[in-house]
Amino acid sequence: MSGQILLWQVILLTIYSMYQIIDDLTFISSLAQPVWAGLITGAIMGNMTQGLIIGGSLQLTVLGVGTFGGASKIDANSGTILATAFSISSGMNAQTAVAAIGVPVASLMIETDVLGRFTNTFFQHRVDKMIEEENYRGFERNYLYGTIPWALSRGIPVFIALQFGGGLVAQIVKVLNTQMVWLSNGLATAGALLPAVGFAILLRYLPVKKHFAYLILGFTLTALLSTVFTNIQSLGTGLASVAKGFTNSFSAMPMVAISLIGFALALNAYKQEVGKLPASHSTAAAPKNDDGDGEINGDED
Amino acid sequence: MATKTNYKLTKKDFRQMNRRNLFMNQLGWNYEKMQGSGYLFIMLPQLRKLYGDHTPELKQAMRVQDQFFNTNPYLNTMIQGVDLALEEKEGVNSLATVAGLKNGLMGPTAAIGDTIFASLIPAIIGAIAANMAVQGNASGLFIWLAVNLAIMYFRWRQLAFAYKGGITLVTKLQGQMNALTNAATLLGVYVVGALVASLINVNIPFVAHIGKMTINLQDHLDMIMPKLIPGLAVWLIYWMLGRKRMTSTRAIFIVIIVAVVCSALGLLGKAA
Repeated sequence: MSGQILLWQVILLTIYSMYQIIDDLTFISSLAQPVWAGLITGAIMGNMTQGLIIGGSLQLTVLGVGTFGGASKIDANSGTILATAFSISSGMNAQTAVAAIGVPVASLMIETDVLGRFTNTFFQHRVDKMIEEENYRGFERNYLYGTIPWALSRGIPVFIALQFGGGLVAQIVKVLNTQMVWLSNGLATAGALLPAVGFAILLRYLPVKKHFAYLILGFTLTALLSTVFTNIQSLGTGLASVAKGFTNSFSAMPMVAISLIGFALALNAYKQEVGKLPASHSTAAAPKNDDGDGEINGDED
Repeated sequence: MATKTNYKLTKKDFRQMNRRNLFMNQLGWNYEKMQGSGYLFIMLPQLRKLYGDHTPELKQAMRVQDQFFNTNPYLNTMIQGVDLALEEKEGVNSLATVAGLKNGLMGPTAAIGDTIFASLIPAIIGAIAANMAVQGNASGLFIWLAVNLAIMYFRWRQLAFAYKGGITLVTKLQGQMNALTNAATLLGVYVVGALVASLINVNIPFVAHIGKMTINLQDHLDMIMPKLIPGLAVWLIYWMLGRKRMTSTRAIFIVIIVAVVCSALGLLGKAA
């Protein structure tokens, strides 16, 4: 009977989809990669070769796509699970399944990833509360509850899709991209803006007023350079599409370089302050001689 | 003298931290503090031994270690190793240094770690594994698994290594702790500034049409100051958090609602 996926297969695939995201967060064994998803789904569906082909194709699609700074990437793994399951159950050609199911599902699952990360904020606040209450067990328990949103962010959509078929998946993609596009955009914007809360809280813990100049410096330097690098990159891409001989590619802004500038500033501040210390380094609380006269008399000694 | 219990970390402590890191890191990941609570989770048992349960010192340490943190999951225990070496020696007095070091180190560590472990290695091995897979050969997958097991071993070893480095740092720099604290917090503040500009990607997609003239607001803003919107957003939330009866929960809901509403009105969008 074509098109039919048995319940035990649905359950096993749902469990794997929940397991893989946890694996990818913690010990990162590579079982959360599309090739593995293809093999495992293929094994469950009874056609490992087909699974390998689909998993391999989707793996090549996301080659080098890493997650940077906690951003969501397209979920090629869930895409592989559904593409493999549907293609084997319905006898669909592997390549067709990759394009028709794998890629759309992978991009749709960005939304559920964002939703899962959103939901985890709830547990963050419970964890914050436990710290104030000095409830250590409670802290650990609530931290581990974060597993639930993560697992469900993959488990629910994979289960629904497998159980109710590809038609529904296509339907949801369509609704979110047409009638509900405002919500999908709004959530994406909120996701992009939310780290600002974390930074603001962090700044309340750091001596911002004392080092305000460096806050401005770090921000401005990065803002300017990221604009420059992004513009050069898009210029390069544009040029490459027009001029045949143009094959240069330009790299993105290197965060290490930005940090090194900060490190140099910190080193300088450290050396200056140590220079002010009395000769014996053993005294921990050195008296501060902050006679801040702005004279430059370094060449006298 | 600095910590109440004078506890010295043992191999057993490192094993416990490594277990927590390998099996439970990032489970609490969220948009507000990212790996913040995970950082504390990994070293909470050790902090409890250092400061003693139900002491004001432990509470203070927990609050500091629960703040925003995000770095590459392959290299995070390096920072924790140095951190614990400092705290073991100096107790709560080191927390300002620790906060600065955490924020100063997470950016570069993430940049290096993400490039090597999240991008380069998966791209190379992924290409090999995928090429074999599309021909129906599964052995590439097991190569990948083996490589990742080797990386896990490296992750297991780096904690004790970083801790030893931290101990050397602390003994060498005794008496210069104030200077170190100042430098570390300076670096921390600087890096937060840089992260605000690089991690918060929102802009104004609003385009005004006046007759035949189109005015792209974001382009004009960029001429004044790129990343002005992320900077303003952080400043606004920082100000908001200083208001009475404002909690981070309220702040986060306000941010979500404002973002969805402004996005629907076309006033705010996610930058590409």
